[in-house]
Order: sequence, then C-alpha cells, then structure tokens
Amino acid sequence: MAEEEIQKKSKTEAPRIGVFVCECGSNIQSMMDVEDLTRYAKTLPNVVYAEHMNYPCSRQGQEKIIDAIKKRGLNRVVVAGCSPRIYEAIFRRCVSRASLNPWLFEMANIREFSFYCHQKTPEEAAKKAKDIMKMAVAKARLLEPLQPIELPVTKKVMVIGGGIAGISAALDLADMGFKVYLVEKTETIGGHMALLDKTFPTLDCSICIEGPKMVDVGRHPNIEIISYADILKVDGYAGNFKVKIQKNPRYIIAANCTGCGECRDACPIEYPNPADMKLGVRKAISVPFDQAVPLIYTINKDYCIECYKCVDACGARQAINFDQKPEEVEVNVGAIIVAIGYDMYNPEDMECYGYGKYENVFTALEFERLILAAGPTAGKVIRASDGQKPHSVAFLQCVGSRDINRYEYCTSFCCMYTLKHAVMLKEKYKDDVQVYVFYNDMRSNFKGYEEFFNRAQKSGVNFIRVKLENRRITEDAETKNLVVYAETEDGKPVKAETEMAVLANAAVPVQNATELAEILKIPVGTNGFFVECQPKIRPNETDTPGIFLAGACQGLKDIPFTVAHGSGAAAQAASILGKSKWIVEPLVARVNEDLCSGCGICESVCSYDAVRIEEIGGKNLAKVTEGLCRGCGICGGACPVGAITMPHYTSEQVVAQVRAVLEEVK
Amino acid sequence: MPLKTLKQDTAETLTLEWVLHVRNYKLTLNKNLCVGCEICALACPKEAIRLEKQPKALGVKAKHAKIDIDLEKCNFCGICDILCPYGAIKVTVTGEHILSVVEKESFPELIRDIQVDTSKCPVDCVECEEACPLDLIKITQLTADGKFVENIDSLTEKEKTGLQIKIDIEKERCPCCRICEFNCPKGVLQVRKFIHGKISIRPEKCPEGCTDCLDVCPILGALYLSDEDEQVHVNEMFCIYCGTCKVVCPVDEALELKRTMVNHTPVHSGAWNKALERLTSPVEMTKELKTKGSLKARESVRKRLGWKGK
Ligand SMILES: Cc1cc2nc3c(=O)[nH]c(=O)nc-3n(C[C@H](O)[C@H](O)[C@H](O)COP(=O)(O)OP(=O)(O)OC[C@H]3O[C@@H](n4cnc5c(N)ncnc54)[C@H](O)[C@@H]3O)c2cc1C
Ligand code: SF4
Ligand code: SF4
Repeated sequence: MAEEEIQKKSKTEAPRIGVFVCECGSNIQSMMDVEDLTRYAKTLPNVVYAEHMNYPCSRQGQEKIIDAIKKRGLNRVVVAGCSPRIYEAIFRRCVSRASLNPWLFEMANIREFSFYCHQKTPEEAAKKAKDIMKMAVAKARLLEPLQPIELPVTKKVMVIGGGIAGISAALDLADMGFKVYLVEKTETIGGHMALLDKTFPTLDCSICIEGPKMVDVGRHPNIEIISYADILKVDGYAGNFKVKIQKNPRYIIAANCTGCGECRDACPIEYPNPADMKLGVRKAISVPFDQAVPLIYTINKDYCIECYKCVDACGARQAINFDQKPEEVEVNVGAIIVAIGYDMYNPEDMECYGYGKYENVFTALEFERLILAAGPTAGKVIRASDGQKPHSVAFLQCVGSRDINRYEYCTSFCCMYTLKHAVMLKEKYKDDVQVYVFYNDMRSNFKGYEEFFNRAQKSGVNFIRVKLENRRITEDAETKNLVVYAETEDGKPVKAETEMAVLANAAVPVQNATELAEILKIPVGTNGFFVECQPKIRPNETDTPGIFLAGACQGLKDIPFTVAHGSGAAAQAASILGKSKWIVEPLVARVNEDLCSGCGICESVCSYDAVRIEEIGGKNLAKVTEGLCRGCGICGGACPVGAITMPHYTSEQVVAQVRAVLEEVK
Repeated sequence: MPLKTLKQDTAETLTLEWVLHVRNYKLTLNKNLCVGCEICALACPKEAIRLEKQPKALGVKAKHAKIDIDLEKCNFCGICDILCPYGAIKVTVTGEHILSVVEKESFPELIRDIQVDTSKCPVDCVECEEACPLDLIKITQLTADGKFVENIDSLTEKEKTGLQIKIDIEKERCPCCRICEFNCPKGVLQVRKFIHGKISIRPEKCPEGCTDCLDVCPILGALYLSDEDEQVHVNEMFCIYCGTCKVVCPVDEALELKRTMVNHTPVHSGAWNKALERLTSPVEMTKELKTKGSLKARESVRKRLGWKGK
C-alpha cells in the first residue's frame, strides 16, 4: 500500500506508535544491544516513542506502558521481546487499561526468532531483530480496532467417561449447580478404579472409596448418567455444543428394573466376564459387578438363548424387552470434558514372557482380580495350572512401557501398584511366600510413596535391579513352575524360580480414542493420548475451546492425580458455564457479501465446518459461524475473488510486513 | 492367564473349549457316534452348528454329513448334548456333566421311555442284544447269589432255572427305535419313541439306482431296498425321524420327513419352543423363521407368556 494511502486510511487518527524493547532478564541483552534496538525503533515510520525496558510484562513494566500511552498520546503499541503465546493476552489487557482497543497492540518476537536460534551469530541476530521489529511496526500502522464477539452459553456440561476422573469432574460441576450428562461407554461407571482391590499407598479398599462416589453420582439431582452409550456426533462450539448420543439396547426397561437380580439367578447361561479380566464368568443377564451404577441389568444377546426364564423371574416388574432398539438422544451443552481413561496392553506378543502360553503368568490387572475378595476366586491367589497357592511370586516391571519398540513412555503407576501387590502378598502370607520384583527404577516420587517403598522393603520383598532388556521366563512343563532370567545393570545374570509371575503391562490409549478425537476435533499425540493445550500451565484444556481433558486419557496418572485433574477440568468448564456470555476473540473470517459469488470453495477447505454456503436474500453466500471459526485463514487464501478477510491478519497488513522486510534486504 | 478359546479337530473327536482361570467349558463331539442327522444344527439357539455334506463318489456308498461347530458362536449351553438322539455330544463344565439349562429348567430333557421286565426273559435268549443296530444292549446272567455267569452252556438245566437276567442299555445313546422291542419274543421290552413324525418316499422321484438315504440310515431296518421295484422304502415302525437321510437326499420332494412331536420333560421355555419350531418344520421354513427373527420371537413371547412389551 502506498504511503499516502496509509496516511489516508488513518486520516481520522494518524498512527502514533510506541515501541517497548525488552531485555528479557539477561536473555536478549546478553547478545544484542537493546539500547541500539531502541534507537533503531525510533527511526521507523509513525513511531513517536520507543523505550528500552526490562520485563515490560511485570506490573511496573505494564504501568510504564500505560503511562507512555497516556502521556505521549500513543494509539498503537508494539512490544519487542518474547513469544506472543503467553504474554500477548497480558499486553492486550494492559493497553486496554489505558483505554486503547486491545487489537491495536502487536508483538515482535525477537527472543525465539532471533536470540534463541542464532546464538552463534550475534551480529546477524541483531539485524534480524531489527527486521522483526520493522515488520511489527509496519503491521501496527495498519491495525484496526476490533470488537470481541459475544455468544450465548448453555449452562450444561457433558462428561465423557465415567472413571474416577469423570466422576470427580461430574460431581464438582453438579455441586456448583450445573446440569451434567455423564456419558459412559460400558454398562456402569467406575472405570478401572472399580476393578481394583486396594489402593496405594494407604491400602484402603478401592471400591469402598469409589463406591460411595458412584452412588452420589447416581443420586445427584443434577447428574444424568447416559450409560452403555456411544458418542455419535458433536457439533457447535464453546458455549453451544450439540451432541448426538446412541444409547445401546440393554433389553431391559431401565425404569422398571429394580436391580434385584432375580433374573440373573434364573438365567442358565454364563460367559467370560470382562470386568474379571475373563478369569471368571457372568450370566447372560447380569451386571458386571455388584456395585454397578446405574444398577440396571443387561442382556448380552451374543450369549442369550432366549429361554425367557428371566422374563418369568422378573414377573410383574416387566422390565425385560427383547425388542429394544438402539436409541438416539441429543443434548445441548456449553462445555465438554473428555475422561475416557486408558486400556491395557496385551503382552501376548512379547513371547519372552510367555503370557498366554504359560498358565501361571498373569497381568497386573488379572492379579488385582485374583486378590480381590469379591473376585472370581473369592480373593484366593491361586495358580491356573493346579489351583494351588503359589509359594513364590515374581513381579516384572515395565512390560511394554519404557520400551522404544513398543511404548516409549513410563506408565507411571506400575511401580506403585507392584509395591502394593508385593506388600499385600507379604502381609497376607508372611514367610509362606517369597516375593521378587525385577525392576529397573523404582518410581515412588509422590506424597507417601517413598515411605511405602520402605514398607515393602521391610516386609521382606526381594528387589532385584535389572536391565529391562534380556529378561525372559521359561516354564517347567511338568510342575508349571517358572524361571525368570534377567541381567543386572553390570551384566551379571540373575534368575529366580517361582510358582507364579505377574507382568506390569503398559497402560495404553483407549482403543477408539482416535475415533472420538475425530468427532470432537481434538488432537491426539504421537503416543496416542489426547494433547493438552500447554503441557505445564494448561494441562486441562485442548486446542478446541470448551473441550477439556480429565484423567488418564491426557497422560497416565494414578488416582490422586486423576482426581485433581478431574476437578481441574471441572473448574475450567465452570469458567465457561458460569459466564452469561462466552467471549470469542474477533479473529474470525469476515465475508464481503458484495464480492462473494457463492462458489463454495471456502466451505470445501474449512476443517472446522465454520463456513457454509447459505441462501441469504435470494443469493448463495458464504456464512461464517463465529463460534466455530478458528481464524486459520485457509478460506481467505482459497477464495478466488478475495471475498474473505481475516481481521488482524488482513492482506494489507501481511503484505506491508513482507514489503518491510524485503526493503531491508535491498 | 488370559481366557483361552480352543478348537481341536481330530479323526475321532471335535472339541471346543473355553479355559478360564476358575472354570473350563468343554464340548466334545464323538465323531464315531455322530450320524450326521440335522437335530443339533436345527436346535442350536446360536446357529453355531453347520452340516457339511460329504461329496459322493460314483459307485460307492453315500456318506453321512459331518458337523462343524463355530467356536465364535457356541456358548456351551448344552442343548445339542440334550437333543442328540445318539449321545454324540457331551458338554461339561470343569469336567462335570451338569447342564445349567436343565437345572434351571430353561430346556427340557428327552424322555427315553424304555421299560424292561426281565422276569419274562428266557435264560439263554439274546435276541434284543443282537437286534440293536447300535450295539447298546448287553445281556448278562447272574446266579441266585449274584454271581456273573461266564458260559451259560456249561450249566445244567436245573442251574439255569435259578438264573437272573440283567439287560443293560446304554440309555444316553439310545435313539429309541424300538427294534429290540419287536425282536423280543416275550414282550420284555417296551420302548416309546421320543420323536414322532411322518416319513415317506416317493419312488417315482428317486434318481435311478439311488440308495443314498439307505446308505446313511443309522437304524438298520428303518429303510429297506424292496425286491419288487429295487427302490428304497420306509419301515415307519423303526424310523426315529432324525433326518440323516433327508440331509443326503439329492433331489427335492423324493423324501419327505416331518416331525410332529417330541417326548420331553415339562418345561416353560422360549428356547425350547423355538427349538421345537425348527425341529418340527421343514428346513426351508426354518430358514424363513430365522430371517423373520425378532418379530416372530416377540410374537411368540406374547402368545406364550401373555407378556406385553411396549
Ligand atoms: C493393575 C492396576 C492397579 C492400579 N492400582 C492403583 C492404586 O492402587 N492406586 C492408584 O492411585 N492408582 C492405581 N492404578 C491407576 C488407576 O487405575 C488410574 O489412575 C485411574 O483408573 C484413572 O482413572 P480415569 O478415570 O482417568 O480412567 P479409567 O479408570 O480408565 O476410566 C475411564 C472410563 O471411561 C470409559 N470410556 C472409555 N472410552 C469411552 C468412550 N469412548 N465413551 C464413553 N466412555 C468411555 C471407560 O469405560 C471408563 O469407565 C492402577 C492401575 C492398574 C492397571
Ligand atoms: S430385570 Fe427384573 S428381575 Fe432382573 S434385576 Fe431388573 S427387576 Fe429384577
Ligand atoms: S432368555 Fe437369555 S438372559 Fe434370559 S434367562 Fe434365558 S439365557 Fe438368560
């Protein structure tokens, strides 16, 4: 744009730009002369003021900026310093406190783009810093005031996944007075915690802690559990999501079922119970475990022979309906919390451990069901080969985890649950059982955990520190006893003959997590877990406003951390639900209706379904749904007639920046 | 140990198994006893059993169909075990032959009504033992003090008069064809069939020289080749309506088989009603019922139990 045009455009108000250059502690200053940069800034067009500062982000720094705006009549502000990722929002608030429209602010990132990446060439770095500042000023000259967009908020929330994460989030939100839909894939809420025997480091009974919470969820007037259900579709945006859910048929009329279980007693058919890791069985009409919430029975038609004995047993309650069909329901919510937890890796493919081949090799969750009093063996730890109690048990850590060929990450809770299993065995059977733990590092680094490790050592558990590679198990075909072979860190072979082995197999992302991620349009990391917005300071948020993460689906965590994370997600969701209006940054595509020909190219390129062709006044025109638009600008680039502009990133602004930087090169 | 699901197929047996930590479900098909009738395949509520017709070579006798059981579909309910007329299938739970469908009265048992009054037996008569087409009868003679007689011919006539006759019948495998009853000269045995029905052959429809049905019929005497027209005819007296012949018959309408009634213990069960429907209607009709599926099932529940679903 020609110089006179710029002047013309801001005729009413000629740009008066203030530039604040930051030393960034010792960072930027250590390499370039910030004073020189400041002098340079003063030479740029429309810059009426420039100041050399340290920490403009601090309270005093911000006061100085406000002061300068007022005293010098600044109407555009540029801060040259760090990345806009964190501080841009702070500076926008800062300038608005000086009654300047927050969108008349621009940041020049000379730290990441210059200082960080050109450490060895300070001179060139300083030159580049100047270019970056020049570009920022060029854009600042063309900035326009923008107004935030306000959207209505539906004061309801959906929590997906009823593990302890989802339960915690749902209860918190319900107690705050919001209506919660808790959508659970399986027949009951509870998740993995409902399957555990005791919990570390206190060894209190898992279902005794979680059960009452499950009951609270079931009874809470603000919570509606939608169990045995799948999420089909999610439309909309923060404050206004529309969710389609499919309730799968239980073949039981929920309202009529009293949970008495008489049908189960009458039913002749049994099948392996997934909640028991298929070590035990359940009836074709049953609940996965007695504490199930909601306590509604389910018929598994894969196994049912339709004898109708259950119908007889149910009698006048008439709760059974063999013709039930899947049912679709739609709910409107203002925020969504994803809490779908994790699955377990099946170590059958690691032949060195013989899982699936040797009868007395178990996974940790199988062991959990074995030692549980309400489990399939009524709490007796017994071998599969002969039903006898083992006199020696080997635990092998990090099976599948911390293995670059499988799951590179640490599952994080296996060390602790193995300590739990070891202590429980030792305290139950005393000297009648020898316990060996083949570990590499013992990760016991939170409150009360190291103390629990000490308790395990004192109870007589043998801890054998070994390399994770080269471990293997063999079986004596006759006695079905096992020999565990391993190598110490300095290469010495060790072995132990035991009657049972338990593998601490990796926890992995839920099988259909990616499918759900696609429905929700949230990113999945390379390791398969959902990605938070910022790993340190925004661990509950996703990149999609209004959708939050809770619990192990974001990254593996034990129960205390999961509960805290669930409550965190609840608080984040409440920060939307509690508002009367949801404010969106005005960075959404704008359509010039006079230019738009209704060709629909924008609709075809938008990944967020944010722009659609609609008939407006007898003409096909592109229409942007502001809540959905993420301001990526793809449509603007694709529009053949230039009918779409991206506020704050207009073509003029971008071209001016490019011109500015090319000038310098000349 | 994860759940193991196993299927083993040998020349003698087909076994399916679920091995759980606490229990073991096992189905064993004794291939030597299986005659390839259609009863189990029709009755299985999970449609897990498939009949495989055996190819027929020219000039050799027809072979009965073989059965295959789908491990994915079988749920070890034991209905095939209960209904097999020849006792070829056993379902056990941890080695015990206890069928929950029977215990919970969710499926009936066949009534093998065989009355034996050995007081009328001539001491050296072995007619029934020899007549049984499946070799299920064993006759023994005992002396007055309960001793087992090795060689009856070595006894004097006087000794013979004091003998007691014992007839052991392997009841579980007995299809109740009544051949023993008809061969008994003294009316010692009284057998009631557990499947009633109607079978007829229309010789005019039979391909020339075809004796496939006769080749596979497990009950010697239920079908016979007539000297007059050299074609296969039925002796309805002995037919147990198992359907082995029907399965192999190469043409439509030559052989008609209809089951009309099954003699079973009383029970109130949808699974049985459905099994009965499939057993008593021709195969074509069965297929149709299956496709109509749930609508039909709902109708029948309504009729049978007076249940009013929404
Ligand atoms: C053997 C073993 C022992 C352990 N012992 C302890 C211990 O002693 N102490 C401790 O602190 N931690 C322990 N843990 C860890 C503990 O299990 C987890 O910290 C906790 O379960 C995480 O809770 P969550 O709600 O995030 O996930 P989960 O418990 O996995 O719950 C997720 C829920 O979401 C549901 N879901 C999944 N997909 C969908 C979908 N698509 N739609 C709707 N719903 C869905 C699931 O059905 C489930 O109900 C142990 C773990 C293991 C494997
Ligand atoms: S379905 Fe009927 S019998 Fe079964 S638990 Fe519910 S109310 Fe009781
Ligand atoms: S109809 Fe199905 S669920 Fe009901 S009792 Fe019979 S087998 Fe069990």
